[in-house]
Amino acid sequence: MSDSASTQATDRGDDPERAVSLRIEELIKVFEEADGTPVRAVDDVTLDVYDGEFLVLVGPSGCGKTTLLRTIAGLEPPTEGAIIINGRDVSGLEPRERDVAMVFQNYALYPHKTVRENLAFPLEIRKYPRDEIERRVADTADLLDIPELLDRRPGDLSGGQQQRVALGRAIVRDPELFLFDEPLSNLDAKLRVQMRTELNKLHTRVGKTSVYVTHDQAEAMTLGDRVAVMRDGRLQQVAPPQEVFERPATRFVAGFIGEPPMNFFDVRIDERDGRPVIVAEGFELPLPDVARRALGEPSGDGRELVLGIRPEHFVDAGAAEAGAVPEGATFEALTRVVEPMGSYKDLALVPHGAAEDAAEFTARVSNESTAMEGEPIVLGVELSKLHLFDPETGANLLV
Amino acid sequence: MSGERPATASDGGTATASGTRPVAEADGGTATESGLGAGFDAGLASYRRRQRVWDALESPYVVHLVLFLAVFFIVAPLVWELLTSLKTNAAVYNLTYLPRDPTLASYYDALIDRGFWRAVVNSVIIASVSTAVVMALGTPAGYVFSRYRFPYDNAVFTFVLFTRLFPPIGLVVPYYRIMSEGGLLNTRLGIVVANVYLWLPLVVYVMRNFFITIPKELDEAARIDGCTKLQAFRHVVFPAVLPGFAAGTILTFLYSWREFLFAFTVSTNLSSMTIPVATFLFVGDTSIQWASMAAAAVVATIPSAFVVFFFQRYIVVGLTGGLKG
Repeated sequence: MSDSASTQATDRGDDPERAVSLRIEELIKVFEEADGTPVRAVDDVTLDVYDGEFLVLVGPSGCGKTTLLRTIAGLEPPTEGAIIINGRDVSGLEPRERDVAMVFQNYALYPHKTVRENLAFPLEIRKYPRDEIERRVADTADLLDIPELLDRRPGDLSGGQQQRVALGRAIVRDPELFLFDEPLSNLDAKLRVQMRTELNKLHTRVGKTSVYVTHDQAEAMTLGDRVAVMRDGRLQQVAPPQEVFERPATRFVAGFIGEPPMNFFDVRIDERDGRPVIVAEGFELPLPDVARRALGEPSGDGRELVLGIRPEHFVDAGAAEAGAVPEGATFEALTRVVEPMGSYKDLALVPHGAAEDAAEFTARVSNESTAMEGEPIVLGVELSKLHLFDPETGANLLV
Repeated sequence: MSGERPATASDGGTATASGTRPVAEADGGTATESGLGAGFDAGLASYRRRQRVWDALESPYVVHLVLFLAVFFIVAPLVWELLTSLKTNAAVYNLTYLPRDPTLASYYDALIDRGFWRAVVNSVIIASVSTAVVMALGTPAGYVFSRYRFPYDNAVFTFVLFTRLFPPIGLVVPYYRIMSEGGLLNTRLGIVVANVYLWLPLVVYVMRNFFITIPKELDEAARIDGCTKLQAFRHVVFPAVLPGFAAGTILTFLYSWREFLFAFTVSTNLSSMTIPVATFLFVGDTSIQWASMAAAAVVATIPSAFVVFFFQRYIVVGLTGGLKG
């Protein structure tokens, strides 16, 4: 993952003008498992979060994102490295001394306290004056649209309402940093989308630096100013959502971000009639000029690579308008399954010339596609959207 | 549920008894009832027979009969005791169910003449102090076992439970020796020590289970909101576990109240005897004063009955070890 380091380096150099709110330096967190084997939950993470930025930490479960968040909060001591919040090194400090607020996955509302008391608690424990507490609780309740819930207890609230109270308890103190640990994952699908939008609005209004942990790439894409993709305790890429989607730094990021996930094919770069081509099992595509320059000359040397194509970058050539599909960038594939989704169709296919047991890939084509299960169709590929990865390191060779 | 079942059973029963099922007719003359062959039909018939037996066993009448017997089994001795206490020591031998001349004489005899009231005072003091000490030590211990990992934590916890596995009778002799060395014979303190020894492991275990039901995110949220670890315990975790704490307190009080063996071991006079031990005084060398003993027993039962009556919700919670909301 040599490129992850370089990504970080460029990120830090990205915007020297912007104030850094949270700086994580070479952070390492080692856990000891029950049998005594050490596990690096967070492995040498260096990351800057700018003032007012909403950074989403995303990755599969067990990638260390929650551990990283808990280390920032002070709930776990770091093994090595430093955490600096607004210029203050907080690495050795207790959670209460860090001036952060955290929203937990299970909300962690105080069950014996009313909503009002829950909201007031962080202020009371810090000995705010009574009238200041009342004012802030009222303001926060208005902001979250929950004034009518103030005298109820958490047990009487729905999941979405509890979620709002948990947000309120974080906001009421006006901390330097917000931490979110998968706050939406206990909600049902519809409410989750709704709360996602609300969180977005809320962040626009409150504008506080936030670190948000999720395993849901849709949340990462919609909420994040920047997205930090983690895997096995290491940062894979830190970039704005669109860039992570369009220019994934590694094969892992490419496969993790995007739904349905990117298709990968083992390919070889060869030469046909003096022009370099990508040869996969069952089909061939011309190597775009951009890619040829990125790979360096000579490219037609039989080099083995991994080709990545997102499902939405296929077109059903039969249903497309003339000229929409570039010359030569087509191949025949056998349709195995057609899933009409209304505004589009998802197809599961195998390359026509490939073996019977070849791996299926997914294509998302327009709903005008006439693909039939068991019938071959001609697929066009948007060549400018191809990705080529190094089979050993997983690095994206075209970015 | 049990109300619906017999109705369903009788529906099925009549249909089978009349020999034809509407379904079979609708099938348009299938030869067998199920349409799957004679062997299958025989199985189906035996299945229905067995289900009718079970439905009968689960019927509300049977359930109520069993419940009635259980209640009778528990209540009858108490009622007998109450009736006996209203007789005189002599009248006990007139074998009647109801006392001929109900009198409180045996209460007077037991409580005042025999000084049994001192045992009541002892019991109140010993049970209260034991409970206070046990809860004060057991609650933090249970919290630590539920939250913190430290070397050999499981071994320590197992050891705590292990102390309760010895039959108490096996500890009576060393306990007596220690109390006599320490000059604690015939003192209330000596009995409190025994009670703490007996009930502390139980409370550590019960409180640990309660604390486990409180998500640890609650402590963490409190610590981020501005609490020290102790403040988080005091302001957030302890209030959340209060129903469990109440359950532990009540159970410990009830157990301490009725403890007999150790109190009996160190007490030879009324300066430290608890109610159960003093009640045993009415068993004499030559005769047993049944009415006085019954009166003493009724007095011993009253506080327990009150506690159980008013706090039964917590007792159920304490015995099942679960907290909700």
